[in-house]
Amino acid sequence: MGNTLHNVTKWYAKGKTLFYLLLLCCGGIMHAQNTVTGVISDEKGMTIPGVNVSVKGTGTAVITNLDGQYSIQAADDATLVYSFIGFTPQEVAIKGKKTINVTLSEGAKTLDEVVVIGYGSQKKGDVNGSVSSIKARDIENLKQVSVDQMLQGKAAGVTVTNNSGAPGSNVSVKIRGITSLSGTNEPLYVIDGIPVSGDARNSTTSGQPIAGGNLANAGNITVSPLSLLNPNDIESIDVLKDASATAIYGSRGANGVVIITTKSGKKGTGKLYYDNSYSTQQQVTHMDVYNLRQYAVYQNALAAAYSQTPRFEFSNPELLGNGTDWQEEIFKNSALKSHQLSFSGGKEGVNYYVSGSYFDQDGTIIGSGYKRFTFKTNIDANVKTWLKVGVNINFANTSEKITLNSSADGIISTSLLSSPDVSVRDLEGNFSGPPADGTLGSFINPVASALMNTNKLKRRSYSGNFFAEFKLLKGLDFRFELGGYTESSLNKEFRPTYQWGIAVNPTATLNQREQMFYSANVKNYLTYRTTLGKHNFTLLAGQEANQGHWEGLNLTASGFVDNELQEIAVSDTKLLQYGGQYIGEQALSSYYGRVIYDFDNKYGITASWRADGSSKFAEGNKWGYFPAFSATWKLSNEAFMEGTKKYVDNIKLKFGYGETGNQQIPNNQYSSTITTSLTGIGQSYFPAGTANPNLKWETSKQTNIGIDFSLFNSALNATVEVYKKTSENFLYKTNFPLYLTGGETYEGGVSSPTANMGSMENKGIDITLNFNKKLSDNLNWSSTLVFSKYVNKVLKLDNAINRDINVNGYLSKTVTRTVEGGYVGAFLGPVYEGIYRDAAQLAGAPLNGFGADPAPFIVGDAIYRDLNGDGIVNEDDFTTIGNPNPDFTYGFTNSFNYKGVDLSVFVQGSVGNDIYNLTRRAGTLNSNNYVNQFTEASDYYSAANVNGHLPRIGSGQAHPNNFLSGRYIEDGTYLRIQNISLGYSLPTEWISKIKITKLRIYGSIQNLYTFTKYKGYDPEVGSYNQDALLSGIDNGRYPTPRTMSMGFNIEF
Amino acid sequence: MKKYLKNYKLAFAFTIAAVFCSCETDFLEIKPQDTYSLDGFYTTNEKVANATNNLYCRVWFNFHTKAFNAIGDMAAGNTFTYSDDYLPFRTLEYQSSDAVLLDSWRSCFGTVANANTLINGLPSNVGPNVSTEVLNNTLGECHFMRALAYFYLVRLWGNVPIIEDAADFADDPNNVHSNRQDDVYTFIKNDLLKAIELLKEKVRGNNYSDNAHVSKGSAKALLAKVYLYQKDYANARLMAADVINSGEFKLYGGPELPTKTFGDLFLVSNNNNEESIMAWQWTTGNYFVGNYDNTQFAMPELSQNSYGGVVAPSQDLKLNAFIPGDLRRKETFMLPGDVYPNLTYADSPTTTALGYTTPAGALAQNSGAALKKYVVGRFNLPVTGQFDPDNRGFPQNTYIMRYADVLLIHAEATLAGGGSTSDAAALNSFNQVRARAGIPPLATITANDIFKERRSEFAIESEYWYDLGRLPYAQAKAIIEAQNRGDMNFEIHVTLNPAKTSLLFPYPTSELLKNPLLDDEPVPYTF
Repeated sequence: MGNTLHNVTKWYAKGKTLFYLLLLCCGGIMHAQNTVTGVISDEKGMTIPGVNVSVKGTGTAVITNLDGQYSIQAADDATLVYSFIGFTPQEVAIKGKKTINVTLSEGAKTLDEVVVIGYGSQKKGDVNGSVSSIKARDIENLKQVSVDQMLQGKAAGVTVTNNSGAPGSNVSVKIRGITSLSGTNEPLYVIDGIPVSGDARNSTTSGQPIAGGNLANAGNITVSPLSLLNPNDIESIDVLKDASATAIYGSRGANGVVIITTKSGKKGTGKLYYDNSYSTQQQVTHMDVYNLRQYAVYQNALAAAYSQTPRFEFSNPELLGNGTDWQEEIFKNSALKSHQLSFSGGKEGVNYYVSGSYFDQDGTIIGSGYKRFTFKTNIDANVKTWLKVGVNINFANTSEKITLNSSADGIISTSLLSSPDVSVRDLEGNFSGPPADGTLGSFINPVASALMNTNKLKRRSYSGNFFAEFKLLKGLDFRFELGGYTESSLNKEFRPTYQWGIAVNPTATLNQREQMFYSANVKNYLTYRTTLGKHNFTLLAGQEANQGHWEGLNLTASGFVDNELQEIAVSDTKLLQYGGQYIGEQALSSYYGRVIYDFDNKYGITASWRADGSSKFAEGNKWGYFPAFSATWKLSNEAFMEGTKKYVDNIKLKFGYGETGNQQIPNNQYSSTITTSLTGIGQSYFPAGTANPNLKWETSKQTNIGIDFSLFNSALNATVEVYKKTSENFLYKTNFPLYLTGGETYEGGVSSPTANMGSMENKGIDITLNFNKKLSDNLNWSSTLVFSKYVNKVLKLDNAINRDINVNGYLSKTVTRTVEGGYVGAFLGPVYEGIYRDAAQLAGAPLNGFGADPAPFIVGDAIYRDLNGDGIVNEDDFTTIGNPNPDFTYGFTNSFNYKGVDLSVFVQGSVGNDIYNLTRRAGTLNSNNYVNQFTEASDYYSAANVNGHLPRIGSGQAHPNNFLSGRYIEDGTYLRIQNISLGYSLPTEWISKIKITKLRIYGSIQNLYTFTKYKGYDPEVGSYNQDALLSGIDNGRYPTPRTMSMGFNIEF
Repeated sequence: MKKYLKNYKLAFAFTIAAVFCSCETDFLEIKPQDTYSLDGFYTTNEKVANATNNLYCRVWFNFHTKAFNAIGDMAAGNTFTYSDDYLPFRTLEYQSSDAVLLDSWRSCFGTVANANTLINGLPSNVGPNVSTEVLNNTLGECHFMRALAYFYLVRLWGNVPIIEDAADFADDPNNVHSNRQDDVYTFIKNDLLKAIELLKEKVRGNNYSDNAHVSKGSAKALLAKVYLYQKDYANARLMAADVINSGEFKLYGGPELPTKTFGDLFLVSNNNNEESIMAWQWTTGNYFVGNYDNTQFAMPELSQNSYGGVVAPSQDLKLNAFIPGDLRRKETFMLPGDVYPNLTYADSPTTTALGYTTPAGALAQNSGAALKKYVVGRFNLPVTGQFDPDNRGFPQNTYIMRYADVLLIHAEATLAGGGSTSDAAALNSFNQVRARAGIPPLATITANDIFKERRSEFAIESEYWYDLGRLPYAQAKAIIEAQNRGDMNFEIHVTLNPAKTSLLFPYPTSELLKNPLLDDEPVPYTF
């Protein structure tokens, strides 16, 4: 007896045996019919276990075994239906066949697909709010560092721009427009239940960038908070867009919510998966600047115009060589290596997924690069029939080298302007520069600067989320989650001593910045599902608490022994300088409830309510309450629509309204604190800024109306949604006139208060079209087009907000002005209307009103429009001259599968956005000797060249001719072939012999080609340090490289 | 059994929920952790006294770092540059949006705002252990600083808004009018009288750090200057005489301190010496608290930067400001061959040497000279004080008022707008300044003598523009237009716009954009 029991247990332990046992049982009770067997596989030839195989019109059904095999009893004339979550169902008539092998096609966003909606999930077809879903397969071919980049062009309503082409740098993700002026516009990411802010500027926590002293003039230094997540670990991304969807995340949902779910193990034998790819990256576009011969001609012309003696060595330009090509010197082809190893599986109620990855991306500009290790463990287990527990753990370690970019003195800007008559290195091989006597100008050798002035950042992050799920009663589940996220960073910015010609730095300095952040998150919630006849209810009630803490310390060391060792330990510690310390904490406490109701699969309603308490507000204003409601009507499920089904199916009408909150402001804005300052007579302790005890939650109200439908027998699925989002009691740092404040506290003023003083609106439309077609037995085509459009308008704002950019290292110029009635980040300047080319034109022209005693305009000067018609052009005539916001953005993905071959082509683009091309301005100024320029610079107006496209030279940089104006606004429209990938999966028959279940080799090209009229390197300029008010300003941005990859993945 | 199991499950689940549910009432109450709350902070005399240190340093940074020289000396024709950021002031082609103007406006109003915060908030927030004397002295310093800020504002823009509490305007920050220039002067005088009432008396001794904060005498000296600007000669003379007779301050290198020299005034080690009445107190360790004059003025070999000599002496200063034998000339700017034993310069990027001989050549900005005043040389601890390698600033004080000014005010107030004077007291004051400079005394003095003397004495100390502003406009205009504003090779002259009637500046564009009312007819201030 004991032995028998032992055997039974053993049987049970072997899933396969059990499976056949079950099959046997099933078979026993069926009528004697034909047995049909077969194997189900996906388009890549992988067999699929767990596929439901049923005989149409009967209750008979089986599921495929672990090898994708099935065996079913059915009548000869019956039809078999194959269905599996995530795949398009297929029907096959038996017609007497004994073996039916079926390939199910993936990619179809079928209505049965599961969508994560926050504290739960729903079938896609049943979702009442607005949610875009992206699956692992949609992004697997993209060779990008971080997942936020991968969202580009993949989800309607999500506008993604890469703010820099530097490895690991930040990205701007805007979900349905721009919602904030001073805090962050980035969505909340919820990664396996752990909230992570997308804010690369830390604007609501420490306010300190992790890789630089400040954000204003240190160049683009922010790094992506999401680059610590290995994109290969991601199973699905669900973007909650409208308020009815995000309201359940109340407090933090105003900018939208992106829920990222990582892979988990699936029941079955263990799988080993390995992916390896190698890529080369290169900068494709080079600017046309003068070579030495051209430069000599140009400098001679300049000397003539400025009445200077031409340089002797340039007397015969044609005898000269090419000189130094500084672009060639700073750009390089570089490698990107990626390895990913994962194991997954499930047994006896325990599922596991563990992975490790290594990513090494060398920059395409010398002195930049990014390396990452990640480790991931996801485990869940059924401890009891009523208790399931699990844990998701992630560890990441990155190290990056950041090069100075997006700055007038950055590597890109200076390499364009450095003159070709100076060599990179001197005869001894040391870095050189223009000679100390100033005879060849005074720039800093950009190659030396890129390689020797280093900015290194090391980051380490750990995150973990533990959950326990209890089945308390039938339909009633309780889930508990405890999560934590911590990130620490160490930044070392070293400036060595050097003498590169005229550029001399006698004192080496090291800026060391250490930061630490952690947050802890607790969730408790109950879910109750019940069905009463045709009424389906899902009820949710829960509680959540979140606490965040940050700390940081900055130090500056100098007095180093040499440039070799760059550590505080070998500096003169008497000279060690304190650069600031900060500690802060924030807390959120929340309660929420939700009812999802569905009647007869025709009418659906979701209503939710959330209360959030925030530590950012004073007692009495701490709590905000956020209701939301949405309803859908599945029109095509009505009996009267039966006749139209063959034309249009799955029609669903959606309406949603909801309110979300925003509390993303720095700490202590409601209370008065003491701040400190060093002074020559000792530390000073004095009141900081202006407190506003009346601060309260900002509310964002959003209405969403949409329709889903499918055509051509579900081959084409469409979603069209329009929305209007209004932020009220808009929280922002007020911008009082300086006579009340004197500026910010850090610069000696009394900062103006943060207040609820404005409102802003975003209206838009999102369209997703999805097409799937089996073109022949072996050829599948699937295509997705996403279209996103938003229109941003500032409804109420007390004072215009100006943003300045440093145009030459020490001169700040206002580039954007955001005003009431306008849109965020509008480019500012005079309207440029060409050049005065003859005296007749000058006769009726407005007077030059710039400066205290301006010289009258002459022939060859720029024409600026006298906007107010007062006969004088001056700063009163400055206006909005460009819009960084696109008319619309789009993404178009096409995938083809033919037998084992898969091909995908992804194009993506933006239409109608403007770019302020300051790089081109610097390259066409014609105002300084010894500065290289774009070759177009010599086409300036002169008596000999009356059709020149640039104003006359000789007017100097401060002259109105060289003002930032409409002259430098360019159309940023582009269409980019973002990715083409071609893969081949070896047939299962071959590789199964060597125990391999999948072997795919692939090649891909990222950023293959960009169609654009933009004259700079790269039309995808993005925002400076993620600042929405400094978008589309090209001031030497790090261009995005082209990446060509080869790789394989293998699964055992 | 089943029921029991159910209860057990519930109990287990809710125990977990209870343990981890953060229902503490103070969960959302988070106190600042890296600073103090204002509430309950000012409990001791030391804390209260320290509150005003900021008013000597950071609040003035934006004004000092560029604008102070760009306006006070470059616009006035004492200094010269080709650098784009200063250039509009050399050519007087500045725009109302110029950063230099905005920085001056910002900084002066920042001083006002910080002084207001303390004046309005401190009395109700100090603890019982704080003495009235300390609180009063602190408030007196705030009134002094507010007066100083408005004194710059009224001299730069004339009519400006008088703000005593920004909170009065918080609901409607753009609805503010400028107040009349006369009322601004009245407001300044009221503040200085209040400061005289509240501030402690001091005698400036040789423990220099004790001299840093202003005293009753400082307020009197500044008030004398304000009276002088208003041509209230009687009061100006009384105030100046009061300061002179108090013996609080001494001329560095004058009869009482014969071992010192005019040049010693500009050594970092002599910050807050006996002659200093009021000075901005710079330090190191942060960008917004350092003195960048050495960075901007010094020749590259004398500075920590690869660039240098961004600001140079003008040809007019070089040729017309000093009579032969004036010891101040060499301490104001360098000419080839001048030797400076105290200045440290570079032999190579990593070593420094003491004792600098000015080389021949074009020097700074092709001017054939280079600035010396406020140049301390390359980092050398005993000479230059601590240096900030990261931000590149020095802890050298900037004089706002020194005793020589009081002596010249005394002479000018005695002259009282007349043709000339031989008043013994006036001559005594006037000739003390000349004696220290090593030039012969005068027996009678005219307004022009004083005007010239002030230029020689205070060149590069941001006084000349304001002295020009006190002259009848036509006279100031003629002086400016006669100056050679070019370099040593090219002579350049500027012509002031015929429409101008004063040396006052236009309001900054960005402020007018926010509040166009600033430009309206100024309104009387309700005191």
